[in-house]
Amino acid sequence: MPSTTPTARAELGAFGTLASAASAFALGVRRNFANWPVLMGRALFYLVAMAVLSALWDKVAAQRLSGTLASALPQGGLTLYVGATEWIALSIAAIHLRLEDDIRLGMLEPHLLRPKPYLVQKIAETLGDSLARLFGIGAAALIALALSGRAGPPLAAFLYVAVLGLLAVTVGVLLMTLTGLAAFWVRRVLPPYLIMQKSIFLLGGLFAPISLYPGWFYRFAMWTPFPADLFLAGNQMIAPSAATFAVSAMIQILWIAILSGLVALVWHAGLRKVLREGV
Amino acid sequence: MAIVSVENLRKDYRYVRRKPGLARLFSRDIQTIQAVDGISFQIAERERVAIIGPNGAGKSTTLKMLSGILEPTSGAAQVLGFVPWKQRRALAYRIGVVFGQRSQLWAELPARDSFALLRRIYDVDRITFERRRSQLVERFGLGALLDQPVQRLSLGQRMRCEIVASLLHGPALLFLDEPTIGLDITAKAAIRDFIREHAGAEGQTVVLTSHDTRDIELVCDRVIVINEGRIVVDQPTDQLRRLFLGHRLVTLRSAAAGIELSLPGVTRRTTEPHLSIFEVDTRVTRVDVVVQAALALGGIEDITIEDPPMEEVVRAIYDANGAR
Amino acid sequence: MFSTYAANIAAAIRTSLMDRTNFILNSAGMVLNDVFFLVLWYMFFAGFRQVGGWGLHDVALLLGLTMLVVAISGVFFGGYRDMAATILRGEIDALLTQPKTVLARLLARESIATAWGDLVMGIWMLVTFAALSWRDLPLVLLGLTCGTAVYVSSAVVYASLAFWFAGARSFARDLTDFMLLFSSYPGSIYSGMSKVVAYTLLPAGFVVLTPVAMLRAPSWTTLAILLASSLCYAAIAIVAFHLGLRRYRRGMVPAG
Repeated sequence: MPSTTPTARAELGAFGTLASAASAFALGVRRNFANWPVLMGRALFYLVAMAVLSALWDKVAAQRLSGTLASALPQGGLTLYVGATEWIALSIAAIHLRLEDDIRLGMLEPHLLRPKPYLVQKIAETLGDSLARLFGIGAAALIALALSGRAGPPLAAFLYVAVLGLLAVTVGVLLMTLTGLAAFWVRRVLPPYLIMQKSIFLLGGLFAPISLYPGWFYRFAMWTPFPADLFLAGNQMIAPSAATFAVSAMIQILWIAILSGLVALVWHAGLRKVLREGV
Repeated sequence: MAIVSVENLRKDYRYVRRKPGLARLFSRDIQTIQAVDGISFQIAERERVAIIGPNGAGKSTTLKMLSGILEPTSGAAQVLGFVPWKQRRALAYRIGVVFGQRSQLWAELPARDSFALLRRIYDVDRITFERRRSQLVERFGLGALLDQPVQRLSLGQRMRCEIVASLLHGPALLFLDEPTIGLDITAKAAIRDFIREHAGAEGQTVVLTSHDTRDIELVCDRVIVINEGRIVVDQPTDQLRRLFLGHRLVTLRSAAAGIELSLPGVTRRTTEPHLSIFEVDTRVTRVDVVVQAALALGGIEDITIEDPPMEEVVRAIYDANGAR
Repeated sequence: MFSTYAANIAAAIRTSLMDRTNFILNSAGMVLNDVFFLVLWYMFFAGFRQVGGWGLHDVALLLGLTMLVVAISGVFFGGYRDMAATILRGEIDALLTQPKTVLARLLARESIATAWGDLVMGIWMLVTFAALSWRDLPLVLLGLTCGTAVYVSSAVVYASLAFWFAGARSFARDLTDFMLLFSSYPGSIYSGMSKVVAYTLLPAGFVVLTPVAMLRAPSWTTLAILLASSLCYAAIAIVAFHLGLRRYRRGMVPAG
């Protein structure tokens, strides 16, 4: 007799979802480390990008041209800041491409036939993937920093950046999830992706902290979720403080909540469309 | 108690057909395709049912509605006591689904890891899971394959893994959508045997769609034929064969180069040297009469009496239907 | 030999332009991408005025030249991009049995559609923001020719790694990307190790930095360096490729 105990399963409910999300998360981590040549490639890309960007910012800092923003720069220049933002940016796994594939190629079907929510699994898996990248690229970053003989920030800053970095990557994954869900309605995810990516770079301050922007632009950017993705974490590398750390963490958690709600809404709208019209 | 009961199920797909030129800006022509046009049937516990039909007939659409991933336009259905599209998750625990053309395993991972993940997804306790997995793996001979990434397996090996994956949570009802498509004869045979024996042993109900008539013949005891969204035939497999053709094939292997049989209702099909195949219209002449006549000629080395291949049966049904 | 090449690449160009929607989508994306980075540089120079003697016009010149080098390479030598993968898939076997040079055939077999977008952007960049005059045109063309030679040669060397190890499939693309990365920032920032890299392994120095120097401050020395470097890199590429090809013909399989 097939064993089916629906009542027992109903009790598992949220716990069951959490457990399967946890194994999806672990899967994401494991897969990344199993594919370690790719991870090394990413770390290498990070190091090359940092070599170029640090050359740029060091030069700017060294010049100290009067009447320019150079006076607003921290002592060591922006290399540490960009080191943190690039670390986060390169760690966010491309969930939007996986969603595009699943949605457009009808690969949602097997997932819809399972008793666990597809998107929760997918996001958990991507977070695991991103965590593994944070680890790999972070290790490379720390080694490079040590070898470069550059003066680093106080130890506390590393702790702050680590925590905010984790939250930042979560924000980033949620933003990319929204981008990927566009696949329910548009044919190619590439245009929304480019818009999202550029918004993150510009309003999130990938190359320079948004605090250097003109006042109105800075205030405008702070109303968007993008600083929660990059700037807030990166800022701890150049101006670490427990107070700003706490505030930043709260802002990030708030955005995670808002974006999660948004993702849930968009997903349900898309799901309804698929259930009505077929995959 | 019916495990599956379907009443007047209907599914329309709507799409917009654009008019050429400027007319496009002013009006949209909405076309409706009736994929499923009011079908009704019931399936009892332990039945093994095949749903067949030409491409676009509505088989996959029906299966999707019964598994909850598609909402019907109108009509009702109950599967294992659940309304599929309303209680999709609850139903998911109790059904197993295999798509012939789509994988549900994680491609870069070994099958073993996919199974472990599925255990979590279906909330199967460890002991039950491990027992069931070892039984299935042994029965299907998958031992050596479990640790290879799924994408490196051949199609036949992958399909066996897919089927095992769909059975790990002990479902009461199995939906199989083209499970043997693209496989070689050995692989097909393995899968058919497995489904038949395992389903029988576990008391599972099986609903299968296929283009391969041997799937139907060897696995299922009932056939539902769908054409243009409607059920055309719903019969036990044997009856279907007999009703629709009332023919049997008699193959004779002889010492002589050819054989002559002139009996009413007996037509020669093909002849190769020493091999003659006759089609017997059993409504006109009984098979034993034909056999006796053949034996009377002497020099018969071998006789085979069989039903015509399901392909012909199905073709006959489509043709009969098309003419309507 | 030139006419065969021309015929091959013309066919490749026709093929690349056949998928209109994809082409427009990708080109538009690239244009927006480039405009975006231009905006970033504008903001940078608004805030910092100059870096190592380079101002917005100089960066515009740099970016314009880079885009044009990528454009010309992509349209006329597009096979460079996937050469490592082609080698690893064993697709050169067919070419080896034919009478023409393998390397030329490999370069001519594909033309990258989106490179046309880079072409448009590059020209616009040079004309509008780079503070050039019409007198500079000959030097621009010379710079582009030499820069393209170095760029394509380097790409060929990276791709030739595929004869030695299979990881080259993605690594070759990475190296080309790194070279472009180095080519997108003012040359004045490089010093020490990074400068060495920029003038040897990832020769952004010879692809665009020297042409820029030649346009801003023309001199016979810079011209000589430019010509010498392009001949040098072309020679290295041909040697590297043929060494690899010889290895391939001997039946040696790439590691990994």
